[in-house]
Amino acid sequence: MFELFTNMVKEEWRVHSTMFGSLSFALFPVMIFGIALMGSFLIPLMRTTLPAGNLTLIIHANYLMLGIMVGGFGLLGNEVMNRRFGQASLLAFSARSLPISEKFIFLNFVIKDTVYYFFLWVLPFGFGYILASPFTGVPLEGALLLLLTLTLSFLFGLCGVFFLSAIYARSRPVLWLVLLALGVGIGGLAAMTGTNPVLFFPPLLLNSAFTWVNFLISCAVLALLFGIAIVLFNPESVGSEKTYRDSFAPLMQRFSFLPNPPLAAKDTLDLYRSGSLIGQTIFSFLLPLAVIWFFLSLLGPFFPPHGLLFIVAVTTGVIASTMYTWVTMFDTFGPYACLPVAVSTLIESKLTTFAVLQAIPAIFIAVVALFSGEAAYLVPAIVLGISVSFYAVGVMAWLCGLSPNVLVYDVKVLFVYLILVGIVLTIFTSVAFANPYFALSAVILAIPTWLLVRKAKVRWDAVDPGGF
Amino acid sequence: MAVALEAKNLTKKYGDVIAVDNVSLSVERGSLFGLLGPNGSGKTTMIKMLTGQTRPTSGSASVLGVDVIKDPVGVRGQVGIIPEQETPPSFLTAMEYLEFVAAVRKIPDIETKEDWWFDFLDFADKKNVLCKDLSRGTRQKLMFTQAFIHEPALALIDEPLINFDPIMQDLVKDYLAGYVKKGRTIFISTHILEVAEEICSGFAILHKGTLLHTGPVAELTARGEHLPSFFLSLVRKDRHV
Repeated sequence: MFELFTNMVKEEWRVHSTMFGSLSFALFPVMIFGIALMGSFLIPLMRTTLPAGNLTLIIHANYLMLGIMVGGFGLLGNEVMNRRFGQASLLAFSARSLPISEKFIFLNFVIKDTVYYFFLWVLPFGFGYILASPFTGVPLEGALLLLLTLTLSFLFGLCGVFFLSAIYARSRPVLWLVLLALGVGIGGLAAMTGTNPVLFFPPLLLNSAFTWVNFLISCAVLALLFGIAIVLFNPESVGSEKTYRDSFAPLMQRFSFLPNPPLAAKDTLDLYRSGSLIGQTIFSFLLPLAVIWFFLSLLGPFFPPHGLLFIVAVTTGVIASTMYTWVTMFDTFGPYACLPVAVSTLIESKLTTFAVLQAIPAIFIAVVALFSGEAAYLVPAIVLGISVSFYAVGVMAWLCGLSPNVLVYDVKVLFVYLILVGIVLTIFTSVAFANPYFALSAVILAIPTWLLVRKAKVRWDAVDPGGF
Repeated sequence: MAVALEAKNLTKKYGDVIAVDNVSLSVERGSLFGLLGPNGSGKTTMIKMLTGQTRPTSGSASVLGVDVIKDPVGVRGQVGIIPEQETPPSFLTAMEYLEFVAAVRKIPDIETKEDWWFDFLDFADKKNVLCKDLSRGTRQKLMFTQAFIHEPALALIDEPLINFDPIMQDLVKDYLAGYVKKGRTIFISTHILEVAEEICSGFAILHKGTLLHTGPVAELTARGEHLPSFFLSLVRKDRHV
């Protein structure tokens, strides 16, 4: 049991360190600790615009979401690994070749996820908050309680996903019934008590008023969900073959105005059919930007007039540039290696798809401008945001080629990226602060962007095309 | 006879490891040539170099008269390739993948060709299934189709029969034999010696990145030797060396 557990922990570490680099990944919990420590000192400032209860809610929601994401990755691990590293497998899928039962492996898998991510995400955050507590006036018991309830939130997300996916693997109608029962139950509770049902989330209840009974109930619910998930666990996929009518040819026709219609059509189908377009837009774009917008709005009084809009535009530009990682995450070079396609052609095609996706940040900046009553500066803000996005993606393409998901975590690459992007951000933010209409000057970034893309194509054509 | 493929002193190093060491060989047009060798002998690296997927550390090679170092994309445009263990893109259906290949290769009249291949390799019922949901055997059929759908003058195949059932193996062997009779060339890499002996006209044996032997299969047969026993004795002798 212990040997399997330790090997699973090693495996998880190697998955991450292969993706991000050992040093970069080892520094990750330190970064979480630092963010929590420094963020704790901002609590008094945040409380002026946000009630403490809402802040607790946001943090618990984040850890619930983290549990859901970790659980989701665990179950999709093989698929993700194969896309990223080619033929690969995880120990969790080894019951077919080892004399160990699938349920026993899954039990180890659950314990591994709990322990590993507790040390990676939960403990560093809790520790940062605890260390800051003497200076922020938060009692030590309160800080320790937060650590406990965040752990529980994470576990609720993790075991919730395992529970639902175990049911899904057995019977889809039963899954819908369970979801319906949950919806009716939560809705009924809200109707009967007239209270926001979110406040009945056990970790939040515990955080607002700790009682041993509530704690034991939380643990019992978790044990029940884990237990059912383990009993019902079935490692085989449902096995359905997804079929689609031919969408490639019509899509290629529609993209005939683009430089590489077949590649653009393929990228579009990848994004749409994998569910990534909606998932990534929500979780990798809108959610982080909404949080950033919220935090930046707290600092509004420190910016010059109209400054907040342009800070949001620049930040949106930087985050929008990561859309390049969305379009490069599905492929290995393999399927292209047998075709007359150069790496530079692929870079060009991925950047074309990226350019189409820039409609999303443009709309987001427009919405922010309209909601914040700054419609007059809508155009300069969009020009600034989109120019920054294209410039940042030019830097990314030059530094990382078709492997931004992996190489951006290389410390050297990240350093050059931060310098090149940081300088431009500082210059154009200052320009926009001086006069909002000066932000239009960001179109000049088209020149370095063009040069960077040209250099990227030459550079990566000269390198053996590995997996990306 | 005209040469379809020629390698001169090809070497590939990965750091300190020499995957292919100073290999020279030549393949005539209209032949079915087998590159044989045990696991890790450098066969896949050799195919990767010949198709411009990886650059040689030193040496040179030309495929159908095109320099693989100067114009790797040009080489891939002229030949058909089935890489080892590669799978088609996950989120296209089998039919869409062939349309994608046709668009990239600019193959006309793709519908008729697709239909012929779906029937020939017996996977028409899977043409609308996402590639990620296809079985290994069906993926191999699809990869085989994409390599031959444009009827290239030369096809380079890494392990051509892997994942095929015996009936499909027989069908594919017949197809390959017929293909070279039309004057086209096939270069296969395999460690299934019986298959190589059955279908290849010429062969080369690679071991630890070094070329141990190259010549026609008929020469062995004339001496009353069989390819498997010849291969084993040569490789075993080299191991002792």
